[in-house]
Amino acid sequence: MKEGSIIGKDIPRSDGRAKATGSAVYTDDIKLSGMLHGKLLRSPLPHARILNIDTAKARRLTGVKCVITAQDTPRVRFGNWRLFPNTQDEFPLAVDKVRFIGDEVAAVAAVDSDTAAEALQLIEVQYEPLPGVFDVDAALADGAPLIHAETPGNISIDRKIHYGDVGSGFASSDYVRDDLFSVHAVSHAYLEPCSALAQCDGDGRITLWTSTQVPYIVQCLLAAALGMRENDIRVIKPAVGGGFGGKMELRAWEFCAALMAKRTGRPVKFTLTREEELACGRRRHPMKIWSKVGFKKDGTLVAKDLKILLDGGAYNSMGPTATFLCGNFGAMLYRYPNYRFLGQHVYTNKPPAGAMRGFGAPQSLFAAESQMNMAAEALGIDPIELRLKNAMVPGDKIPQVATISSCGFVESLKEVARMSDWKAQRRSLKRGQGIGVGCYSFISGGVFNWFNTQYPFSAAEIRAFDDGTIHLLTMAADIGQGSDTVLKQIAAEALGLRMEDIRLTVADTAMTPQADLGTWGSRVTLMAGNAILDAARKIREALFGAVSASFNLNVIYDLDCRDGRLFAAGKADRGLTFGQAVALVQKANRGEPLVARGYYTPRGKGLVSPAFSFGAQVARVAVDEETGIVRVEKMWTAHDCGTVINPMAVEGQLEGSIQMGLGYALSEQFIMAEGKTLNTTFLDYKMANAMDMPPGESVCIETYEPEGPMGAKEAGEGLASPTAPAIAEAVFHATGFRCTDLPITPEKILNALGKL
Amino acid sequence: MTLGRFEYHAPQSIPQAVQLLTQLGPDARVMAGGTDLLVKMRHHVVHPSAIVAIKGIPGLDRIEVDRDHGLTIGAAALLADVATHPQIQALYPAVSGAAQTTANVQVRNMGTVVGNLCNASPAADNAPSLLALEAQVEIQGPRGVRHLPLAAFFKGPGQTALAVDEIVTAVKAPPPRPASAGVYLSLSARGQLDCSAVGVGVVLALENQVCVHARIVIGACAPTPIRVPQAEALLEGRRWHSQTIEQAAGIAASLAQPIDDLRASARYRHRMITVLAQRALVQAGQSAAKK
Repeated sequence: MKEGSIIGKDIPRSDGRAKATGSAVYTDDIKLSGMLHGKLLRSPLPHARILNIDTAKARRLTGVKCVITAQDTPRVRFGNWRLFPNTQDEFPLAVDKVRFIGDEVAAVAAVDSDTAAEALQLIEVQYEPLPGVFDVDAALADGAPLIHAETPGNISIDRKIHYGDVGSGFASSDYVRDDLFSVHAVSHAYLEPCSALAQCDGDGRITLWTSTQVPYIVQCLLAAALGMRENDIRVIKPAVGGGFGGKMELRAWEFCAALMAKRTGRPVKFTLTREEELACGRRRHPMKIWSKVGFKKDGTLVAKDLKILLDGGAYNSMGPTATFLCGNFGAMLYRYPNYRFLGQHVYTNKPPAGAMRGFGAPQSLFAAESQMNMAAEALGIDPIELRLKNAMVPGDKIPQVATISSCGFVESLKEVARMSDWKAQRRSLKRGQGIGVGCYSFISGGVFNWFNTQYPFSAAEIRAFDDGTIHLLTMAADIGQGSDTVLKQIAAEALGLRMEDIRLTVADTAMTPQADLGTWGSRVTLMAGNAILDAARKIREALFGAVSASFNLNVIYDLDCRDGRLFAAGKADRGLTFGQAVALVQKANRGEPLVARGYYTPRGKGLVSPAFSFGAQVARVAVDEETGIVRVEKMWTAHDCGTVINPMAVEGQLEGSIQMGLGYALSEQFIMAEGKTLNTTFLDYKMANAMDMPPGESVCIETYEPEGPMGAKEAGEGLASPTAPAIAEAVFHATGFRCTDLPITPEKILNALGKL
Repeated sequence: MTLGRFEYHAPQSIPQAVQLLTQLGPDARVMAGGTDLLVKMRHHVVHPSAIVAIKGIPGLDRIEVDRDHGLTIGAAALLADVATHPQIQALYPAVSGAAQTTANVQVRNMGTVVGNLCNASPAADNAPSLLALEAQVEIQGPRGVRHLPLAAFFKGPGQTALAVDEIVTAVKAPPPRPASAGVYLSLSARGQLDCSAVGVGVVLALENQVCVHARIVIGACAPTPIRVPQAEALLEGRRWHSQTIEQAAGIAASLAQPIDDLRASARYRHRMITVLAQRALVQAGQSAAKK
């Protein structure tokens, strides 16, 4: 990076002070005059026909202003895969049938939330219970009840990837193993429960403040669901307390708030409780993963045959994407000359699984990475050596799917081995201690346009002012990951300004340029960053013109901008301040403000992603062989996220992903009986907390990603994947117990050790 | 979820508090730290019409401890203050240790030891060690002051021997026996901050390598924390030996009636009683031997 660059600096988050002091405004903090409070009536049954709903008593309760059921709605199905309307399987309020415990049946808006809650008790619903299915085996059994009448067999979608010849690959392998892995559901457990507030103006237009990752998608789907025009819906994303994939769809409360605001003429707000979130909220897909893999004697990979059943719950949600991606990730990290994948997304009578940090990768890579460790053991090759032998390098291709550009995987493996003193620790640990490795690759945004947007994937507008400041507008949504800070850094660097010179307006669909697909798949830094660079380039060109004209510069001169000035490269005295240059351009255009827009849509980048990140992680654990309790003693991480724009932000992502990885590996799970989630509080839903966090060391392997803004790519989401397989391998190293069905609980360990 | 409507009283003395309870009747609840009560109210498990907050009563947060008179922990004494009290740590390490393992920093700074006992959860972290010490609760009501062994205080999950117009004003443990030591160990699925799935409190006294006194109490494995007298009897009067300890731990497990719940299976709890009892006995034995 050039001298004085803001890229690669530990810039504190723009919203840090507001969040730490409690002044940040989240959706639930917004209170409008005359506002009503909404509550949802949810199905108590996992599968039932709705025979009748009587809302008369609820309507008569003093303070109740509106009660709605599906009868009161246009009954338009919605779903994120708009490109394939037959995947859109959800109504905002249940029509004729409920399909999971928590399915939304009716909504009430009242003068306060206690009255709304009381009114819910007065709604009488007559159900005819239907038999339910609660796992993929039951859902696929002959004669299983159909969850959606139009989906015979309960398989809502399948996805395939196939290249090479798997059969002859296995025939020419020296060593073949076939394993079954199963992984479970976990919660996003974002700190801010979902909340939405809708207001309807005199012309019938809706403004919706909502805790979402995808303002644009919510705008479009809400318009469709209400039978309105997209431009008549304005979605604003206030401060959001985490999403992790759980807030990337139009949801029932957003729809109900809007419809009830329209019907009552009063603002309506819904805020979910933690119990609702845990009992009925989206979750990570449980999967059953059959993986057959063939090697040469020397460890060279020859073939892989992967079959995955995803337990999707009652609706598609983001399942179709997860179904494809878990097959894509099964082909990542290593060179598989022959590869076949079949993924099937299966309906069950449980809360729908959706997108969650890693989007299919944590499941698929738990299997792939565990299997690499198992094969290394069987082949007598060190697990890191086996990976180095097969590791992807720049230029590798997944035929018809993706081409790897920048790739620091080999360097990550070597670095994590060095940091952790891998070889020595592998040999010399005490009884009950173990060390293991897991790796990941991840996408920097998605290419496949399942939403069928008619706009660029990301957009930015820059308005330049003669006081030396700019106003940056983008629909990109900071949901806590820190993109507001990073995007400002990118704009500041591109225009030679300081952070405080930039006013930022984000994630307001009526004010920021069309469009941005939202925050998911680690797309924001790369896609919105590129859109900002495009806009900044146009501003710079206009300003450079002013400098060039002012100093009568030879056309061969390059121009540069830094510290709020624009000048001839190498001749700093021949330059103007940013404000002076803006004033000249504005004057030359007879007062017309200097504004530029920039756009980004990936092109020629395959089906999956414009760029891929890579990394390796080592975990050391101590297992108490009498209680079965695993303590993670230390984590070492080396990862390639391209140019590091903000090291402190990357470190925060890394710590957060380890926290989630610990929970996924060891302690988090939904305890369910007949479709009912039993642990609905943070007392019984056991996330790792601050006291459980192990110390860690990390190194960023710097590569330059040609498609990324200033060389940057994904950081932090991919890291949700390596922790569980690394811990599982460390537990095996410590105890000889190989866990292939997450989570690794004390009881499973003691059972395996014959001590229970 | 919101709290329902309720009256809030903050009396300045115990007689005032008792009088309020008498007037307000069975729908009133006594609150010390509120870390259990307010959560239950938010989840609409209880709907008190009135709260009588006793935390502001002068002197109720007393902690008195000495070798001759024993230990008194007032009803408003915070978990954090008990956990970090140097003399409790020296003379009753199982009591300070149990307070330290209760919940998290925030709850320990609000909640009280006596409140943890009055909440009468079978998993209450502070019950096993105080039961093993043969502690008593001091109760005040309209009929005056009475003392009740803690063992007679617990009646079932959430149930105590307290009448609706009575308040526990303190918990008291007798002076420590010579050459005695106590330990509390607990275990839960999530590392260090969790509701215990199993807890074991032990108090031992050794003379010339012979166990002259043993109390073993198991938490979270029956409707109330339970003493296991048969295991104690096996130890008392015998030489302190690893084999006897192992046997006693096994008997302790066989006397408990753990259940399957969200926090652990009965089978796992059963096994863990043995493990924890053995570890607690070994640790307490080592400490006692040094005295």
